[in-house]
Amino acid sequence: MPTNLQSAEYDTVGQKRWVWPGFAIPGVVWLCLLFLVPFYAIFAIALGRIDPILLRPVPEWNPVYWDPTVFAEVAADLFGGQLGLVALRTIGYVFAASALCVLIGYPVAYFVSRKAGRWRWLWLLLILAPFWINYLMRMMSWVNLLSPDGQVNQILSFFGVSSFPDWLSGQHLVVILGLVYGYIPFFIVPLFAALDRIDDATLEASRDLGASNLQTFWRVTWPLSRNGVLGGLVIIMLPMFGDYYTPNLLSGSPRTRMLGNSIDQFINQTTSQGSRGAALTIVLMMFVAGLMAYYLVTINRAAEEARR
Amino acid sequence: MAYHPRENWNPSHRRRVYTRRDFLQRAMVLGIAVPILPSILAACAERSGSGEGELAVGNPGNPVEQPLFDDNQAIESGLEAEEGPLQIYNWADYISPDLIPVAEEALGVDIEIATFFNEEEALARLSSGEVAYDVWFPTSQRVAVAVAAQLIQPLNHDYIPNLAANVWPQLADPYYDKGSRYTVPYVTYTTGIAWRNDLADSADIEGKPNPWDIFWNPKYAGQIGLYDSFTDTIALALLRNGVTNPSEATEDELVAAGDALVELVDLVDVRYTIDGAYVGIPEGRYAIHHAWSGDLVNSQFYWPEDGDYTVTRYLWPANAEGSTAVGPISSDTMAIPVNAQRPVLAHQFINFMLDADNSLENFGWVGYQPPQNALTPDYLIENEWVADFLRSALVTPEDFERDTAWVQGPLDADTEALWSAQWTRATSGG
Repeated sequence: MPTNLQSAEYDTVGQKRWVWPGFAIPGVVWLCLLFLVPFYAIFAIALGRIDPILLRPVPEWNPVYWDPTVFAEVAADLFGGQLGLVALRTIGYVFAASALCVLIGYPVAYFVSRKAGRWRWLWLLLILAPFWINYLMRMMSWVNLLSPDGQVNQILSFFGVSSFPDWLSGQHLVVILGLVYGYIPFFIVPLFAALDRIDDATLEASRDLGASNLQTFWRVTWPLSRNGVLGGLVIIMLPMFGDYYTPNLLSGSPRTRMLGNSIDQFINQTTSQGSRGAALTIVLMMFVAGLMAYYLVTINRAAEEARR
Repeated sequence: MAYHPRENWNPSHRRRVYTRRDFLQRAMVLGIAVPILPSILAACAERSGSGEGELAVGNPGNPVEQPLFDDNQAIESGLEAEEGPLQIYNWADYISPDLIPVAEEALGVDIEIATFFNEEEALARLSSGEVAYDVWFPTSQRVAVAVAAQLIQPLNHDYIPNLAANVWPQLADPYYDKGSRYTVPYVTYTTGIAWRNDLADSADIEGKPNPWDIFWNPKYAGQIGLYDSFTDTIALALLRNGVTNPSEATEDELVAAGDALVELVDLVDVRYTIDGAYVGIPEGRYAIHHAWSGDLVNSQFYWPEDGDYTVTRYLWPANAEGSTAVGPISSDTMAIPVNAQRPVLAHQFINFMLDADNSLENFGWVGYQPPQNALTPDYLIENEWVADFLRSALVTPEDFERDTAWVQGPLDADTEALWSAQWTRATSGG
């Protein structure tokens, strides 16, 4: 190898050093335009002013003039005020719905990827097919199914049940199940991919070494699919935290309001309170970023272990 | 930036500020291609370009003229209509799709409709200056804001003979825009109580001194819905508590209204909806719902085939026997944005909409009543546009003059913050 290729100007395969990072430029520009700038705009609105005529929040682009009053009020409301209640409820709903997604989705993904044999593509299709229908449409049909004279109550009364709860009057469970129903395929599909990647040889090795079915699952399959579970959870939890139409359609009661409803309310119903919605969005984003960081650290650690 | 609004801002210097075009150019130079950003930037520019601050807010007892501006003139009389297509900016589902082809034929141009879902969205887009619609449909309480921000242009009445000829005098010369300088009325409505007399006892609502109390009646727990609209619903709670002019409610009164709404959560399992009056009532999800009169007229089309529409009832507390309560009344308008590309055509379209036959056709689909002299309640009922049992959902010109009628004005930022805080309390649940 000629010596000049080992200089600082060239990398190990003989390309100029800027060539490979150069490929990232379109992506970086794209990310800046569609992520960082809007992100900054949300800050500019949360910390901005109110237009004296239109009474709408106007963004303050210069951080020197940022006014943290609204932000402080929202933070105070979140820690000890009404919004805090909504935030706790939202976290409760999302974690409950995610836990149910794992309990229901894991066996389904496991069955489809490892036990369904040659019919697995059909199973996958059947799981995904209903989700070609618009999310709102599917929630609306739940409204029909769960209405007082809807099919759910008709079936219950067929089996002799005579008194039903009013499903749509603000039941926590109905909203949580709505979230589960709405997001579970997005949990199953990445998990299916993770389970599908597990090499049969590792399972056979486990059996050869004397492990029982249960031990094999617990010591081989589960650890190998854990990142798939985490990945699926990230995909469903992020949108769940911002969801507002599920509680709107399946309940409408103040008892089941989520943070998404509060943000929607500030931004869409009021004129001058939009900056409150922006501040709330930022707080929610920081919380979700914490969860995301946990995921990234875990994945990173797993990757390092695999390399060892 | 050579200038910042907080640095001894002086209105007389405002012409030195960036124009909207400057802002957009700079936004482009910065590579800000995200659709929302130019609008935000331009909204910022718009602030400095808008009027001097005081809004002309009227009410039936105190009508106001909207100010005219030298740089915002009505079009000349006798101009030729422009080429189409005419661009309309309206609420979703707020004009009859059957009427559009008729209007296209009458005006000889194509018509394109863009829609908005709430007025904040409409104001944001119009004030950005990046859209140029020819006709817009603001609510009457936003007219003062739209004029002060110079979002709409004065009208030339020569093009709109139907205004003087057909429209109720009370709204042809309305309290919010005396002389109809900037707007003409589109539809009018009251806000009251809708119920089904098969699911609720009419005697609990009719003949009561304060019919608004019905929403606090635990007998109907689980069957009560209110609008998911904070101005309407905070106003409802204020009116129920006996405040006669919610626009001037004190902080204590607002807190009491918030308390009353918080109480509803456990008392009646209240739910907040936007379609409850016209969809939820026919479906039987609600026995009693907070209702705009037009929603109720429209609800007949949402009944299942085996349903019995005749159980629907509506009461406007400002005009009900035995009631001493106050009730909201309002109207929506048509206006021409200041940057309309086809103002002559827009005037012609507005005149078309104020024709009695056309507005009746529109009413049949929209359910919201046009304030037309010819379309009296008797006429509408005799010709079966509205069922007799919903006569109370029809507005008459005199309704605006009742002592018990209340019109909502725009809330200033501080007041809105107070209302919004109570709404957050009311909707956060226990």
